[in-house]
Amino acid sequence: MSIKILKPAMLTTLVGDGREGFRSFGIGPGGAMDYFAMKVGNYLVGNDHEAVMELGYAPAEFLFQKSSLACITGKGFTIHVDNEIFPLWKPFKIKEGAILKLIKTIPGAWAYLAVHGGWRADEWLGSLTTNLTAKAGGFNGRALKKDDAIEANESKIQIDETKILPWGISANELSGVYSPTNEVRCVLSIETDWLSPLSKDKFLSEQFAVSSQSNRMGYRLQGAALSLSERIEMISSPVDFGTIQLLPDGNLIILMADHQTTGGYPRIASVIKADLPKLAQILPAEKIKFKMISLEEAERELFSEEQKLGEIKMGCHERFKKHFG
Amino acid sequence: MTNLYTITPLNETAVLVSFGNVIEEEINRKVISLHRKLIQEPFEGFIESVPAYSSLAIFYDSIKIKSLAHSHQTSFYFVKGFLEKILEESISVGSEKSRSVLELPVLYDGDDLDFVAQQHQLFRDEVIVLHTSKTYRVFMIGFLPGFSYMGTVDERIVTPRKNSPRTNVPAGSVGIAGMQTGIYPQASPGGWQLIGRTPLKIFDVKKKSPCLFSAGDSVKFYSIDKTEFEKLNEY
Repeated sequence: MSIKILKPAMLTTLVGDGREGFRSFGIGPGGAMDYFAMKVGNYLVGNDHEAVMELGYAPAEFLFQKSSLACITGKGFTIHVDNEIFPLWKPFKIKEGAILKLIKTIPGAWAYLAVHGGWRADEWLGSLTTNLTAKAGGFNGRALKKDDAIEANESKIQIDETKILPWGISANELSGVYSPTNEVRCVLSIETDWLSPLSKDKFLSEQFAVSSQSNRMGYRLQGAALSLSERIEMISSPVDFGTIQLLPDGNLIILMADHQTTGGYPRIASVIKADLPKLAQILPAEKIKFKMISLEEAERELFSEEQKLGEIKMGCHERFKKHFG
Repeated sequence: MTNLYTITPLNETAVLVSFGNVIEEEINRKVISLHRKLIQEPFEGFIESVPAYSSLAIFYDSIKIKSLAHSHQTSFYFVKGFLEKILEESISVGSEKSRSVLELPVLYDGDDLDFVAQQHQLFRDEVIVLHTSKTYRVFMIGFLPGFSYMGTVDERIVTPRKNSPRTNVPAGSVGIAGMQTGIYPQASPGGWQLIGRTPLKIFDVKKKSPCLFSAGDSVKFYSIDKTEFEKLNEY
């Protein structure tokens, strides 16, 4: 046994790289809400594509039943190990018997607990990530509960103390991903032109608050009601993580990691991939403002995000190798 | 193939080829032909394509395409060019392989069977005869893992969705929504008019190919009684 859940967060699941290639069967990729934090969590403990534990919205508590190399990334939480404050975005050794607490403090929604070797997760259709609808992948296809014991995969490294390690991600590197917090960039999508001219203006000039009816499937927004130039009944068509749909009541919903593969509401814009981590971390009641950019810019942002992740991975793996030989 | 289509970015990693905003078998054939063609002969960087009634989304690895491209053009531009070339080569719609018809048993005892019958001044048995008389096309799969949108039903049993969806529809339920018919692969909230249930698992996570249907398949229902249902019940 590796870790016991004394208290789960509001939603605690094992996540991994998305499940690609099955959308045509109604099975979406799923994966982390904040892919940046999930990936970097893995890199910081010397992993690459292993399963990570995703914790949302509420405090959580764990008992380590085996000494491990662990790390917590993400936003919105303060970490305590045996009542001592530990940093986020830095790997640490944690001894058997230690209690890890995540306390909800600052703004932010999701945290990621990674261990060296990765959490043992069921692979389904080529991915370790949990699909809660199909009840497959991850930990028995379900969210984690109090008293669940999660195993970590075999690890060769020796841990005999609780100690913070000397590498991590700088505040500067993070601000590029998560700031400015309230600005979410998007590109045009399929039915953008269906919006009335006034609604198009409002979409880009008004602020929208994330509603409390938000979850891993979608973030509902509250704000100015938008409308179409004319009423057009749309038939179902594919959607994606980041697709912004206009609901019949004039409100917007942004589809998130566990979105359905198809939808029947107009797709008026798409949040760019590089801004999905930032968007995922926005809490209900917080406000966002959309900024339209060109497809060229969105592609460039995606490219530089990927480059950044590549550099972080290389840096982390070098430090890991040097430290553990 | 006619050039009555549009290619528009869904976002920076996906495009949508749209053949209109209608539910028509002929149009869906074009969608499925393009889908199958892309699976057979994908471009470098192709991830997957997702067929819907009259549109196909193509998801791609934008970074890979960019690194392979020789010019400064966007990945979208490259994918669009590739798709236009295929679409011009006229995918022969007739080439859609006629797969065998999947026959599916249904116990017609749904909670909305009486409502559907009353709506159209039919007897329950007439609704069953009409529902089992046609071979349906699987237009697309979406909404839930394995939920297939089939159609179109005989116009004498076309019935709109319920005004207020049920909070829990059991897995295996067979329903009607407008001119569509379909089966709930998992228990879920839902607004379709329930006319019966199949004892067979149409979606099974334990199977290598979990979904019994693919878009483009043909399905026919046949009526069974309670004893047969119990014998066949996989749930």
